[in-house]
Amino acid sequence: MSEAALPSAVARAVQALAPWRQYICHACGYVYDEATGDPDSGLMAGTRFDDIPDDWSCPLCGVTKADFSPYSAPQALLADRDSGASVGTAAAACPTRAMQGRRGAPGVLIVGAGRAGWALAEALRAGDANLPITLVTACAGDRYDKPMLSVAMARGIAPDALVKERGADAARRLRVRLLAHTQAVHICTGTRTLRSTRGTLRYGTLVLAHGAQAALPPALPAALCWRINHLGAYQRLRAALGDAQTSGAREVLIAGAGLIGSELANDLALGGHRVTLLDLQATPLARWDAALAGTPLLQAWRDLPIRFIGGVSVRGVDAVGTRLRVTTACGQRFAADHVVAAAGLATPSRLARSAGLAWDGGIAVDADTLATSDARIHALGDCISIRGQASRFIEPIGRQVRTIAAHILGGAPVPYDASTSSVRVKTGSLPLTLPALHAA
Amino acid sequence: MNAADLPPDIAHAALASDALLAAVRAIAQGPLATQADAIDRQGDYPDAVLRQLGAIGAMGAHLQAPHGRGDYGLAIQAMAEVSRVCGATGFMVWCQAVCGLYLEQSRNPALTGELLQRHASGAGLGGTAMSNPMKSYALIEPLALKATPVAGGYVVNGSLPWVSNLGPGHYCGALAQVVQADGSSTRDVMFLLRCDAPGVELRDCPSFSAMEGTGTWGLRLKDCFIGADEVMAEPAKPWVVGIRAAFVMLQCGMAFGLVQGAIDSMRAVEPQLGHVNQYLDERPDDLQAELDALTARVMALARTPFDSSSEFFIDVADARAHGAELSLRAAQSALLHQGARGYLLSSDVQRRVRESHFVAIVTPAIKHLRKEIARLSAEEMPK
Repeated sequence: MSEAALPSAVARAVQALAPWRQYICHACGYVYDEATGDPDSGLMAGTRFDDIPDDWSCPLCGVTKADFSPYSAPQALLADRDSGASVGTAAAACPTRAMQGRRGAPGVLIVGAGRAGWALAEALRAGDANLPITLVTACAGDRYDKPMLSVAMARGIAPDALVKERGADAARRLRVRLLAHTQAVHICTGTRTLRSTRGTLRYGTLVLAHGAQAALPPALPAALCWRINHLGAYQRLRAALGDAQTSGAREVLIAGAGLIGSELANDLALGGHRVTLLDLQATPLARWDAALAGTPLLQAWRDLPIRFIGGVSVRGVDAVGTRLRVTTACGQRFAADHVVAAAGLATPSRLARSAGLAWDGGIAVDADTLATSDARIHALGDCISIRGQASRFIEPIGRQVRTIAAHILGGAPVPYDASTSSVRVKTGSLPLTLPALHAA
Repeated sequence: MNAADLPPDIAHAALASDALLAAVRAIAQGPLATQADAIDRQGDYPDAVLRQLGAIGAMGAHLQAPHGRGDYGLAIQAMAEVSRVCGATGFMVWCQAVCGLYLEQSRNPALTGELLQRHASGAGLGGTAMSNPMKSYALIEPLALKATPVAGGYVVNGSLPWVSNLGPGHYCGALAQVVQADGSSTRDVMFLLRCDAPGVELRDCPSFSAMEGTGTWGLRLKDCFIGADEVMAEPAKPWVVGIRAAFVMLQCGMAFGLVQGAIDSMRAVEPQLGHVNQYLDERPDDLQAELDALTARVMALARTPFDSSSEFFIDVADARAHGAELSLRAAQSALLHQGARGYLLSSDVQRRVRESHFVAIVTPAIKHLRKEIARLSAEEMPK
């Protein structure tokens, strides 16, 4: 008997006793758990999905409630139901199933195991149980939500707890060959091979999803300035900072008050550290109108240990004893325990250059198909540029994956639409939803 | 394109390069070819051939004028013409070439004058004891030679297992860790080591799989004095970083020649065996295309041999690794193409298989190159 057939009071009681359910965002994979809610958006723990207002948006990527659907955690393995093979035996049989021999079809080779790389691997495996898929990554390939790095301290999330799924586990689950701790070095388009630090790999289709790196102007030396564009580096910074309550507040200078700098400044300050935030422009988040973003943010930071200084440029960073000294072009000096470089992102170009790919501030891709200038090579995520614009947000990735997966799996083409409507800024004291604009 | 269509100075240079390569080919396919087997198995050292190659400038094309043409691409191609016929001699050409690089880049007047001139012409022969330091800088093993400061220079002690192109009257570039009286060490010193110097002993090596005639000896140094006239660089490490790309890039000549020789062997049997060799994985046309693409890649890198950036070295290291991998594949495929005929001890085909192993393991080995690429690719962060 369905709930709808019961008298409404009884139905409500039944519903209230039901187990907590989870819902997954189609765009970015964020899982809304009724048990924990979304306090940042005013949804207390225990808020049923049906009770969430319709104007609520995904806290990671900004899409609407309508883009969510019920979710259950993934099975350990895609067991072969027809053969009745159990999970254990299927696992034993699987390791070589997605491998390719010298003469076998080489399949799809993905460079980069961030959100984009893994999302593509998931979509391909869901569409084809036998397609050989190989993922090459310089890191461990562990899966995590990068936006969480901006709020982890305030939410008391331990750095280790940020990993949602170990790379090796995801690889086993998806029957994907994962080459972790492997640097992709050079693409040989003539032989359709990718040279790496663990050998040479053939590809049928190559997808570049290696993301961008923090830009380091000469004034910010690599040995003295943290860049936190990925989990490993973030974990090291957190280890170096320690806990403000137990080992004392640290002074952190963040060079750059864009999205990353502002979010990090807010989180570190909420965590009890003292932050100096510098930027060339007069307000934080200067990409947007100050009235919309920077000014309300500074208001929200009034009672936090954040000192924002706009209109300055860093001339140099020097180690002085155990601390660091940052000097600006106008002669101001700041002392800090740690310096973080948040001066923008740039796509590394070595792989693209090695393949002779068209380049325009990133790997130039076709606006509809996301193909590079080489028909066998596609690209998605932070490393691409469409009509000269990079777009480094979470939400487009799911749609980019659908376009590329449709192409690779041979289905009807799914043209990509490059427009992104809004961006979630995860400044803990004042989360903002702003129109998507691109960095200058 | 006709040389006559080029602007005069470029045409002259192009003719001169072509003429050099033609002269190298004549020596390689003439007197060297007849000795290749004896060099490989009996340990004959090709002294006369090396002197001839030196005399025509084949081992110094990369050196700056007046000793050479400052052309790394040409030096690599000349080495390839030699390696195509004899991998051992190609390796010795590299030893000579890189020793010339050390002498020139030392900027020490005691080394860049007559000594460099004799070296460039092949009147003086020398090699390189840098395998251990290169591995040490890649964090693979500790430095073997120690230098203790004394009045006027250093006293060096230690031993190195295998150093090639050595002999009476020869010399090599070497590097030692400078150790103070209290045991501390803050720098290294790079220097010229003369085989005839007091305290230097050349020791017999065990036999190797191939290339016995490369003048390879164990080096044992006991209280060997090094003076200012022998110092090439101090501190040595930043200087080595400055020449590492040139050092590694030059080695590509060994791989290119070997691969071309293997391809030649495959083509030689195509008329009789093409009908069955078509079933092999690695065929000469594909290997030639891959070799040509790799050669073009290295020729582009050869325009800036002294770019000391990590980015550039990653590119050079990867091209060198590719050459080594291609050598292994091509040499083995040539053996499969030729069959029993290529398996005879007298055949250059099986000799080339053993030479390809050398190209893959001579410092920097494939594994060393990949480790370095991984190390240099990692983002540097605060401690």
